[in-house]
Parts: sequence; C-alpha cells; structure tokens
Amino acid sequence: MELSSERHENRLRLHAAGELTIYHAADLKPALLGALDQGDDIEIDLSDVCELDSSGVQLLMLMKREAAAAGKSLSLSGHSPAVLEVFELLGLGGWFGDPQVLPAATQRGEA
Amino acid sequence: MAKTILIVDDSAAVRQVVGLTLKGAGYDVVDAVDGKDALSKLDGRKLHLVISDVNMPNMDGISFVKEMKAKPAYKFTPVIMLTTEGSEAKKRDGQMAGAKAWVVKPFQPAQMLDAVSKLILP
Amino acid sequence: MNLDLGDALQTFFAESRSLLQEMEEGLLRLETAPDDAEAVNAVFRAAHTIKGSSGLFGLDDIVAFTHKAENVLDRVRNNELALTEALVGLFLGCRDHIERLLDITAAGAQMDADTRQQGEALASQLSRYMGQSAATLPAETDAPVHHLGGARTADDTWHISLRFGRDVLKNGMDPLSFIRYLGTLGEIVHLTTLDDALPGASEMDPECCYLGFEIRLSTEADKARIEGVFEFVRDDCQLHILPPGSRVADYIDLIEALPESNDRLGEILVACGAVTQRELGESLALQACESARLENAQPLGEIMVERQIVQPELVDAALTKQKEARQRQAQEAKFVRVHADKLDSLINLVGELVIAGAGVGLMAARNKDSAMMESVSGMARLVEDIRDGAMRLRMVEIGETFNRFRRVVRDVSKELGKDIDLSISGAETELDKTVVEKIGDPLTHLVRNAMDHGIESAEVRLARGKPAKGTLQLNAYHESGGIVIEVVDDGGGLNRERILAKARDKGLIQDGDHLADRDVWNLIFEPGFSTAEQVSNLSGRGVGMDVVRRNIEALRGTVEIESREGAGSTFRIRLPLTLAIIDGFLMGVADSHYVVPLDMVLECVELNACTDRNEGCDYLNLRGEVLPLLRVKDHFSLKGRASRRENVVVVTAAGRKAGLVVDELKGEFQAVIKPLGNLFQRVRGISGSTILGSGEVALVLDVPALQDEAARAGSAGVTA
Repeated sequence: MELSSERHENRLRLHAAGELTIYHAADLKPALLGALDQGDDIEIDLSDVCELDSSGVQLLMLMKREAAAAGKSLSLSGHSPAVLEVFELLGLGGWFGDPQVLPAATQRGEA
Repeated sequence: MAKTILIVDDSAAVRQVVGLTLKGAGYDVVDAVDGKDALSKLDGRKLHLVISDVNMPNMDGISFVKEMKAKPAYKFTPVIMLTTEGSEAKKRDGQMAGAKAWVVKPFQPAQMLDAVSKLILP
Repeated sequence: MNLDLGDALQTFFAESRSLLQEMEEGLLRLETAPDDAEAVNAVFRAAHTIKGSSGLFGLDDIVAFTHKAENVLDRVRNNELALTEALVGLFLGCRDHIERLLDITAAGAQMDADTRQQGEALASQLSRYMGQSAATLPAETDAPVHHLGGARTADDTWHISLRFGRDVLKNGMDPLSFIRYLGTLGEIVHLTTLDDALPGASEMDPECCYLGFEIRLSTEADKARIEGVFEFVRDDCQLHILPPGSRVADYIDLIEALPESNDRLGEILVACGAVTQRELGESLALQACESARLENAQPLGEIMVERQIVQPELVDAALTKQKEARQRQAQEAKFVRVHADKLDSLINLVGELVIAGAGVGLMAARNKDSAMMESVSGMARLVEDIRDGAMRLRMVEIGETFNRFRRVVRDVSKELGKDIDLSISGAETELDKTVVEKIGDPLTHLVRNAMDHGIESAEVRLARGKPAKGTLQLNAYHESGGIVIEVVDDGGGLNRERILAKARDKGLIQDGDHLADRDVWNLIFEPGFSTAEQVSNLSGRGVGMDVVRRNIEALRGTVEIESREGAGSTFRIRLPLTLAIIDGFLMGVADSHYVVPLDMVLECVELNACTDRNEGCDYLNLRGEVLPLLRVKDHFSLKGRASRRENVVVVTAAGRKAGLVVDELKGEFQAVIKPLGNLFQRVRGISGSTILGSGEVALVLDVPALQDEAARAGSAGVTA
C-alpha cells in the first residue's frame, strides 16, 4: 500500500495504490487523517486500489465523516474495479455521493 | 489474479483431493505436509487462506497457526481448521489460536469448497 | 494419483466396512422394532458417511447408488415413509450392493454386468419409494404457510440484520466475504451499510470492525442455509433472520433487539422495503400502548425466528437429538483405534517380560537374597498387572460376532421357510480377539446346523405342541477362567437310535457297545458322520461337524452336546480367554516340568496319605468320589528316579474331574505359551510349551485329552 499526495491549487489529491486492507489499516488511518489537516478540499484517487476490504471501507467512511465534521469536502474518484465491486455490494455509492461511481461494465464500454 | 490457498495436511490423499477441488474452482493452491513445512512456505508470498489439519507430525496445526499469526504478513490470514467430530476441545484450541473457521472431517470436496467460499470467493 | 491416494483409500475401505456392519445391525434391529429412531439414524448416518467419503475419492458409482438409498432413508427418517419389512429387505439388499461395489473398487476391478444389473434393479425399487414423495411433498410444503397468522407484509423476501463483532477483522474474517457468499444463494435485493457504531477518529481502532448491515435477500434457500453462511462468525456477530412473510410485529421486535435507535432502524427498514411507513407507525403506536399497560417489554432476541417457523416440539426433538448425538460422540471419542499388530507385539514383549521376571526371581531365590526377593515379588506383582492390562486390550466383546448371526438367522430361516427367532445373551462377554476371529466359522456351522436339522418345520412343531416359531439362542458367559458359548435350539433334539444306527453303518462302533448319551452325541463329531437324511444345501457343504470340533480344539477349546428328545439341543463350546499367556501350575515329573492351566486345578493331595490305592487299579477315592488317575510318568514313558512321595493334582475340565499323578508340586507359574513345533503336534496330551525362568522347557498339558486317556484307563481298570 502506498499513499502519496499532490496539491492542485486548493485541492489536496491523495493517491492510494495497492491494498486498502486490514494488513495496512493501522498505517493507513494516521496517514489519511493526517491529510485532513493539510487541506479543505480533499480528493482520494482510488484508481490504483487493487483490493478493498471492510477495514478499508470503514476508513473511507471515517474520512468522509471527519471531513464533514470539520466542514471540509472529501470526494472519492477514479474508483478501480475492486473498489466499484465493494461499493456496489454494500450500496455505498449513495452514501459517499460521488458521481464518479459507475458500473465497471459501462465504464469499460464507453472507454 | 487468482487467490492463493495453503493446504497443510499430512495425508497426501487429503492434500490431493482438496487441491484438485480448489484448483478446479479457480484458486491457486500451495501445500505443506505438516506445520514445520507450512511455516517454510510463509516466505512473504500473499496467502488469502490457510486450510490446516490439527493432528500432524513435527508440528501440529494449532502450534502452526499460533506461529503464523505472530508473523505480521500473515497476522490476518483466515484459517480453516480440519477438525474431527467430537473434538470440541481441539476446536476451542484452534479458535484460541486464531483459527475461527473449521470443516469437520470427513468432508466432501463440495463441503470444503463451500466453507472456503464463505471466506474468499475465487 | 492412485498411488498417492492408496493409503487414504485403505482407510476409507476399512471405515466403510465397519459402517456397513453398523448399517446391517441397525436394519436388523429395525426389522423387529421399526420405530427405533436411533437405529434409523444409525443406518442413515452410515449411508451418508460412506457417500461422503466415496465422494472425496471420486468413486461415483458408490456415491450415485448410496445417494439413492440415502434419499429413501431420509424419507424414513423424516417419518414420510413407513418402514415395512419389504423396505428393510430392500435396504439390506442395498447394503450388500454397496459392499459389492466396495469390494470391486478395492480389487481395482471394473463393475461387471451382473453387478450393474443388480444395482439398477435395486435403484428402480428405490425410486418407487421416491415416486410417492413427488405426490405427497407439495402438499406438505404448502401446509405451514396457512398456519401463519397476523397481518403480513407484502413481499416475500428474507430480511437479515447483521452486526459484526469488533474482532472479526483481526480473526481474518472479512464481513464482505460473507455478504458476497450470501449473494451466491440468491439475489441481494437491497443492502444498507450501517456506520452507526463507527466511533470518532480518535477512538476508532482501524483493525476493529464497526459495520452493520440490513439486507433484503431473495432466495429459495432455507433458514439453516442462510444461517450457515455466518457459521464461522456465529460467536462474533449478531444475526437476525426474518423469513419471507414475517409480520410487522416481528419487525418491531427486531427493531427492539437491535442496538441502533428505533427511529433510525424504522427509517432503514422502510428504505429497505421491509415494511411501509404506515404499518410501522401503527405497530409502534400499538406497542407503546401495550408496554405502558404491561410495563413489560416484549421478549427480544433471536428466538423470534424459531418461534414463528418452527414448532416448539420440533425444537425440543431436535435438541434431544443433538444431545444424544453429542453423548454418542463423547463415547466414541473414548476409543482409540490401534492396529492389532501393535497390540500383538506389546503382548509378545509382556510375555518376554514375564519370563525375564521369572528368571530374576529364580536368581534371587538361588542366592538367598531376601531383600532382592522382596523387590522381585513387588515387581512380579506389577508385571502381572501389566500382563492383565495388556491382555485386556486384546479383549473384545463377543456381541459383534453374535450380531452377525442376526443376518444369518434371518436369511437362512427365509431360505428354509422356517420362522426362527434369535435371542442373544451375554453379548458383553469378553474374549481374546484372536479367539473371536476364529470362532466365527465353527459357530456359523453350528447355527446353520441347528436351524436346518434341529428346529422342525412349523407343522411338526405344532403337532408336537410347541409354538410354531422356533427359537435359537446364542449365549455367552465366563466360567472358570474360560468362556462358554452355547448354541441352543428348541428343536427335536438328537435322535439316539438314528445316530447309533448310522455309527454302526459307518463302522464307528460295534454292535455290542453300550454308550452313554454323551458318547453317542459325540459320535456326530466323527469324520464323515452326517445324520440328515437329505443333505440340504445349507449344512451339507462338505464341511462336517468333525471340522467344527477340530477348529474348536485348535483354540484349546472343547465342545459338548446336551440334547433332550423333542425339547432341543445345546452345543456348548468352552474356550480359553486367551491363547498367549496362562496362569499355570508347575509340576515336576522325573526330571521334566509340566504345566496345567491353574484354573483347571481343583486341589492337590498326597497320594498315600488319604486315599485308597492299590497298584493295579488306577483310580482314586477322594472323600467318596471316584476319580480316574493318570500317571504322567507312565503316559509319557519317563524314566527317572522313583520319587519318595507322589502327589495327585485333581483337575477339572468340561465338567469332568481326574487326578494327575506327579512327583513334585512346584506351585503357580505364569506360562507364556509357545506353540508346538510340527514334530510334536501329534503327541497326545500336550498343547504347547513354555520356557521357565531358568531357561528350561516345560510342557503344557492338554487336560481334556489326558482326561479321555484317564477315563479309558480307569474304566478298563474297573471292568478288569
């Protein structure tokens, strides 16, 4: 798992790559929460996430909630197939409210 | 990418039959003849599931699971213990060691596949 | 691949054979007690396990056939099908067919046409019993629906509420996996993920699980199957399952049982489509009223599902079943399967230990080292205990052997057209495994013989004023260190005149001979003797009663007959408990040593002191009882110094007493019996040898054979 960040004007863009799983949850939590302090408008790019489990889902939910509590905006983008599968299964698209969530087949069909 | 399962059993027949079943369902399979051998297979490779017998020579399944769970890379790897009916105590020992799932011997390949599927789909 | 599976296959064969044995016993029990649910279960379990492990080895023929039998058995188990005699017969046939299939597989052969045909015939018979199920089953499945009362929600989808425990992730269990698997059972119509339990950032442990789910699942699976999905997290999650058609009140109960606030859950359930807003509102209002009145919350928790779809008595029955199953498992767990070879080598070693112990004892006695002797005697006691324990390991109950005869009696009585009951007593009597194995054949012969020649046809029996149904008894009990097995029939008894006539024909006896009953009966054990006027295909298999006696004598046993004309006969087999070690009584004759089994020794007397004795006449008057005397020295033609004093060892075997005249009494001695070499096997009066602690050889006397000798000599003396 790797978490890198880059800044585009006011927006902080986090790039998560690899597994968002229980094996990395302990490292991931402080890294993600730390990013919350570095900007008001945060985007997490999930395009290189190859595996997502419940612990990853929980952390993303935590981020969303903490951001909202702090009056900041947090969005998810570039959902990888692994992420899409989990979001679809758990009906999380609406919960996060990110428009980017599209069924994998459609996305591929349009590409 | 197929998910990888480690089978630990001293019976060649069980390894073979379970191995064939799981490969047929689309999993990758690694096998080991006892706990010692199984530890040597924990070489950093990604394992999605471990299926382990309890009674084995050299190192039994429970000691193996304990040692496995002590390794950070395999701390959260799910384990299915192969228990024998009536060995409730062993099942408890296994659960204490961190093996929360079990399949009762003798089992049909389909039962094994069913139990595996509950934990990971191929 | 076959090579690798070989070991496991052997285990499989052994296991399957013992299961088939259980199956047979169960079926035979069911023939007399068709309501014995435990026996039905045992039969079903056996079939089920065989099918299961055959599946593991890809033995498709066995799986396919066993599956068919199992299906019908399942219907019997569920009381959908009455167990008739015909059905038991069919299952027995199926059992035999499975055995045949196993034999074929074990031999690595292909199924032959006959077997295939047989299998198909059985399968078609089985399918007839399944045919009825198609007709009755729909009606039965329809029924429960009508019993459900109350206002029902509109949809027919299961509702599942899941709250995972904190530790599931740490245990390697991902809730996602279970939900994915749940999806394979049907269609997840709706799923709401609950983050209510997720704490603030500072308290949240990223390795703990805080998620909950409300799931609507459309599936044909039953409740057990849905519960089964969560089998591995059962202790680690809160699971509530509401079946399709649950009442609104059940959802209200659910809301009460779940940790989240009622309003929040109400919203979720409405969002799921489980209940409508209106139904929910009305029910909540109603409940609020009631609880205000009763001041008592409704019962909560997971029992609600059972309450609705399962009747309490069914639950009770299931619980009792489980308890029984657990007890049986606990009992089974008390046994260890050990290879017989290991026991044999242990017993062999114990045998050597006994000899070595005797050597040490002898040494100590020779050196007159009293401290040493004391230690030795302590050790000897322990060795004796070890020996007894080791021997007990080899002891098995004769019941299993007896039970095999239920099938024999059933089949043979059908074959003969006679109605015969088998009654068994003393099934728990234990004897050595080797003896048990070897007694099967002679016993089979005696049983068949009794059914064929002993028990009369129903007409004859009625004419003789006996019940039409014949009875055959197998009894076992312990008697003076041995075991007695009786085959008792209530048939016509042996016919003295016919036996005598036949014996004269065959030249076995002379015209003038006067024989006691016992001697007449024994004639049927002579080679070539057969009294049945027509040789039936059952008893007349070229194996005569002489072979039976030979087999029994080879086990150091005896057989005797008691018979009363018109009332039946008893064949009484006496066997030693074990063949390997005996408690012996050591005697010296001239310079040789002899041993007799201690339990045959009644008493020892000095020859001149308290007996009437005259040189020519070899009998002994022991307190008024006349015993034949046998001079061991003469019998074995031993030369040696004449002893100053002679002793008589009074022995008994098979109810007869005799006196053995020996020089010296040496006392008790544990003898590890070694079989005689070929050279000595024809010597009458000796059954084996043993080695003394000193390294000298002692011969074990064959008391029954010596008694015959003594009786002959004695009667010759009397008549002379």
